[in-house]
Amino acid sequence: MKDVEIRVPDLGTTTDEIEVVQWLVRVGEQVTLGQPLLVVETDKASMELESVAAGTLKQIIAEPGQEVATGEVLAIVASEGAALPAMSTPSTTTAPAPRLQKQAVRQLDNALAIPDVDIDGYDNDFLLSLYERMALIRTFEERVKLLFLEGSMPGTIHQCQGQEACAVGVCAALNQDDFITSTFRGHGHALAKGVTVEGLLYELFGALSGCCKGKGGSMHVGDMSIGMVPGIAIVGGGVPIAAGMGLAFKMQKSSQVVASFFGDGAIAEGAFHEGINLAAIWDLPVVYVCENNHYGASTRVDKVMRNQRISERAATYGIHAQTIDGNDVLAVYETARKAVELCRDAQGPVLLELLTYRRTGHSRRDACHYQPSEERDYWMSRDPITLLGVQLVERRGVTQNELDELQTKVNQQFDDALAAVPDQPMPTVDDLTTDLWV
Amino acid sequence: MPHLSIAESLREGITEEMERDERVFCMGEDIAIPGGWGGAFTVTLDLENKFPDRMINTPIAELGFFGAGVGAAMMGMRPIVDVQYSDFLFLAMDQIVNNAAKMRYMSGGTITVPLVMRAPVGATGRGSQHAQNMERYFTGVPGIKVVAVSTAYDAKGVLKAAVRDDNPVMIFEHKLLYGSKGARAESGTVDGSSDVPDEDYTVPLDRAVVRREGTKVTILGWLLTAHLASQAADQLATEGIDAEVIDVRSLSPFDYDTIGDSVRKTGRVVIVEEGPKTGGVSAELAAGIAERFSDSLATTVARVASADVPVPFTPILENAYRPDVARILAAARKML
Repeated sequence: MKDVEIRVPDLGTTTDEIEVVQWLVRVGEQVTLGQPLLVVETDKASMELESVAAGTLKQIIAEPGQEVATGEVLAIVASEGAALPAMSTPSTTTAPAPRLQKQAVRQLDNALAIPDVDIDGYDNDFLLSLYERMALIRTFEERVKLLFLEGSMPGTIHQCQGQEACAVGVCAALNQDDFITSTFRGHGHALAKGVTVEGLLYELFGALSGCCKGKGGSMHVGDMSIGMVPGIAIVGGGVPIAAGMGLAFKMQKSSQVVASFFGDGAIAEGAFHEGINLAAIWDLPVVYVCENNHYGASTRVDKVMRNQRISERAATYGIHAQTIDGNDVLAVYETARKAVELCRDAQGPVLLELLTYRRTGHSRRDACHYQPSEERDYWMSRDPITLLGVQLVERRGVTQNELDELQTKVNQQFDDALAAVPDQPMPTVDDLTTDLWV
Repeated sequence: MPHLSIAESLREGITEEMERDERVFCMGEDIAIPGGWGGAFTVTLDLENKFPDRMINTPIAELGFFGAGVGAAMMGMRPIVDVQYSDFLFLAMDQIVNNAAKMRYMSGGTITVPLVMRAPVGATGRGSQHAQNMERYFTGVPGIKVVAVSTAYDAKGVLKAAVRDDNPVMIFEHKLLYGSKGARAESGTVDGSSDVPDEDYTVPLDRAVVRREGTKVTILGWLLTAHLASQAADQLATEGIDAEVIDVRSLSPFDYDTIGDSVRKTGRVVIVEEGPKTGGVSAELAAGIAERFSDSLATTVARVASADVPVPFTPILENAYRPDVARILAAARKML
């Protein structure tokens, strides 16, 4: 047991004091990670604050009516184990959730028609590597979220819990020397393409040892040495860039391809149209990967698009396209593999629409009140990691124990990286003006 | 030594750089159509015959192809991307400012963006949207070098230096200085031609150049206004006033060494800018001179610039908009 202090997080409001309205948990009661502990009022709104630890509520320090400043202690939770408890392994005991209805998945282009993906077509090492990478991303995101809630990490974050299969499935279809472009929601893409946990975590902490020396931050993570352009945080901005990278590969007679990730919000941008059209008219080796997580910030995609499917847009550019279940990592992998093949065969570009769901807020402190609960429930029941885990256990003879071990391994990876945060070199003010010019 | 127009010297420079380095390519609207224009002002005329695979003719999609230029540059190519009129740079602004300029910094110094951008400026009888002087929007963007060329010699040397530079470089050119011929010729043109050596040379991207030496007043201009400044100095000379003329040429960074030497000598500065006075390049330049050389200044820095209005069409108003020799003379005489 260890005492964990629950502090007032930086709520991004104009004043740095909140008022405690009501406690939702009594001293002595059990609390789980992320469970709402109390209601507070800021100058803007009232909101719930969640627990950053699992255990027992040991002491309430700030009583209702009391004003408390950012960073001050509200309560103490007697934690079970580590201050930041490890993620539990996604349960594989629940029944597999239904696949997307067949009629909802329109195949626009036979060149990309995916056969029914059969898990028996893959060896277990490969399947477990996909599972482990998704678990790593989930763990990273959940642990980083807690670091933000406790207030120990600067800046803001845009997270990808629930979208792991998109990043992992696509990147598994790429070679090391292929490239990806990403967005402000890029932690998953980074880990999937091969940015190290350390490089990513230290970047979020603004350390010199971060993958961009602390000059990029959460929205601009990347590492050119493993084929990831730092995240482009202007919506749609990576689409033309990817076309240009593809143009370079074509002119250099290289077989490299680019996978360009963006969300459903990007398709209303001019950059989307202009960039994809350039790639189309020049037959460039670019796989455009639209992770349709259904929300651009708080706006649902159907409010800003008349088409049924984003992939329908491909017809206007005369390129290959496919809409697939973005929570099925094997379907994503197989489709991406075929798209990459088409690109290497000078038949690109390709537009992939991966149906998935943004289960976290757009950014920190967004409680997603605009997402219908039935919709959230449906997608939560289709967790990409659970979906693969169930199949591994039921069809490939993998034991729950083996999956637990993988989870333990990624927990350890994160713990090790986190433990070394205090040792990381930080930039000095002298670094302010470096790295601008060649 | 051949005597070339700016359009011709740029074409030579591009040709020689493409011959020298196969990573160099051009991308833009109407730049590579056989029987076409060679871009809006003939700079790339016939190059599609010489380099069929490296003259990339684009759709009308400035945001798209400037972004593509950034992406190609990041992957080891050396693109020369142009717009027909600099006003269209607004369409490409996100890719230029948010990506080309910042990519190296955001990546902790690991990405190189050797992108050359070319853009024609100037009020030339086309109304408000094909006429702006866009320099002001780029001089304050960290991560982009900004150069303005007013002679054929400089144009070729700057183009070559820009292609060989590993940073993004924006080159501003002036429609009235190109010396474009045939159907693409401009009326009201000013002679920007020069003798251009056959042998390889470059012009540094960070140096101003003294066009005329003098002791009484320093007149700073660039592009068209560098020529207007020289004309004004000729007139002042007939009145016995010895003016120094500096072609600022490098708009980001400014060459305060060359400018400072002149200010210390003359103590008087007139800055001439085509474009609205408020928030212009001349504002930054005046502030920079005041900060550095106030001890040498005998009087306040004067600015001759355009009115704070869009560029008008009708010739009588367009001429009133553009700085002219008479206004430069008035400003110089007032401080002497």
